[in-house]
Amino acid sequence: MNEIETAVRDALAHVKDPEIPVCTITQLGLVERVEVTDEAVDVTLLPTFVGCPALEEIRVDAERAVADAAPGRHVTVRFTLEVPWTTDRITEEGREALRTFGIAPPLLQIKLPCPNCGSLDTTLEAPFGPTPCRTIRYCNACRNPFEGFKTKKEH
Amino acid sequence: MSPDPRVGLLLSIADDELVMGHRLSEWTGWVPYVEEDLAMSSIAQDEIGHARALYEIAAAIDGRTPDELALGRAMPDYTHAVICERPNRDYAYTAARHYLYDTADSERLEALTASTFKELAEAVRVLRIEERYHLDHARAWFRRLASGPVEARQRYADALAGALPEAMALFEPLPDEEALLADETLPLSNSTMLSAWLERVGGDLEDVGLERVLEAGDEASVGEVLPTSSGTSEVVETTGKPLRVPELDRRDGRWVHVGGFSGAGGRSGTHSEDFAPLWEEMTALHRAHPGARW
Repeated sequence: MNEIETAVRDALAHVKDPEIPVCTITQLGLVERVEVTDEAVDVTLLPTFVGCPALEEIRVDAERAVADAAPGRHVTVRFTLEVPWTTDRITEEGREALRTFGIAPPLLQIKLPCPNCGSLDTTLEAPFGPTPCRTIRYCNACRNPFEGFKTKKEH
Repeated sequence: MSPDPRVGLLLSIADDELVMGHRLSEWTGWVPYVEEDLAMSSIAQDEIGHARALYEIAAAIDGRTPDELALGRAMPDYTHAVICERPNRDYAYTAARHYLYDTADSERLEALTASTFKELAEAVRVLRIEERYHLDHARAWFRRLASGPVEARQRYADALAGALPEAMALFEPLPDEEALLADETLPLSNSTMLSAWLERVGGDLEDVGLERVLEAGDEASVGEVLPTSSGTSEVVETTGKPLRVPELDRRDGRWVHVGGFSGAGGRSGTHSEDFAPLWEEMTALHRAHPGARW
């Protein structure tokens, strides 16, 4: 990895998800590819959800950050559907950040541990939440509603 | 119209998703309770996002921008099926159409994962993962309403019977279907997909004792639904004349399509009187401020 690519990846690791501002797009596993040539930097991202209204904002923020990290090069950031984004792409750091934000990180099990008290005595209240990627859950132990990140798997 | 048959295929699916998404978004703020309001709004947002993804693929071939394709076409250039443009009416109809549309959409997406058109096959692989949430939602309502109480079951059954003939027209052949099948852009013909879908819907209806929905006519009641001693319900015929979906017949224990479509013509741009007000509203901003961004 050359110096510019490292700088570009560092810059991307500081771009936040506007709807979950504690997480960066790198932690969420959005960065699929970084290609650096003498003239250009091309970054390819994956959308978490195709209809996510934050995509354009993320794209513009990423483009700005990469342009600062690679002055003089032509920067393009685009989203692709070449590969499905799945929740497996969220890093351990990203999962921890989601938890501190009050969103239970995705798991394959039906009972998500409450991000506030850790209890597994929780129920799915509604499979659709405030954004396309979240559900609404309730903790029977600490009696708090909380949000869960939707699990996304190919099968 | 673009001469590339791939654009025609993409636009037919994208238009279905956009118009369905627009109709579902009309529920925002009006659904009887908040969780369902979020569900309708979220599904609407997904469908419009899926439409955008497909318009983007079409735009790369066609030369127009995704926004021009989505919002800048004249009414007869939209090729969604007529059922998508129908008003939401009540929640029974919304839930019935949601079930019929999403099961049909899942047949189509399943088939398209094998498309030789790489960008489409890739996109469909992503869309399918999200559509599973819609399907779960539609099926949850199917189970809940079909198992009663009796008024819910009655209204849901009537709504399914009213929506079914037009839902079948989601599988009306495309104008360029032969060319699309020849190079396997479209791996299965619409008539093959329709058969598979009818088998699935028929099976679901038989499981809840509502197969009479398949025998009812357009806009007709399926007959009065009565509770039975076992707690489930059965349908008894209350009209003297036989009711039948004209395009359906039961042969060798399976429901088969025998030709013709209610609401035919959607795929070639023939729409109902319900599309004009929807189109006016959906495209108003784009027409008033061409190229507007936010």
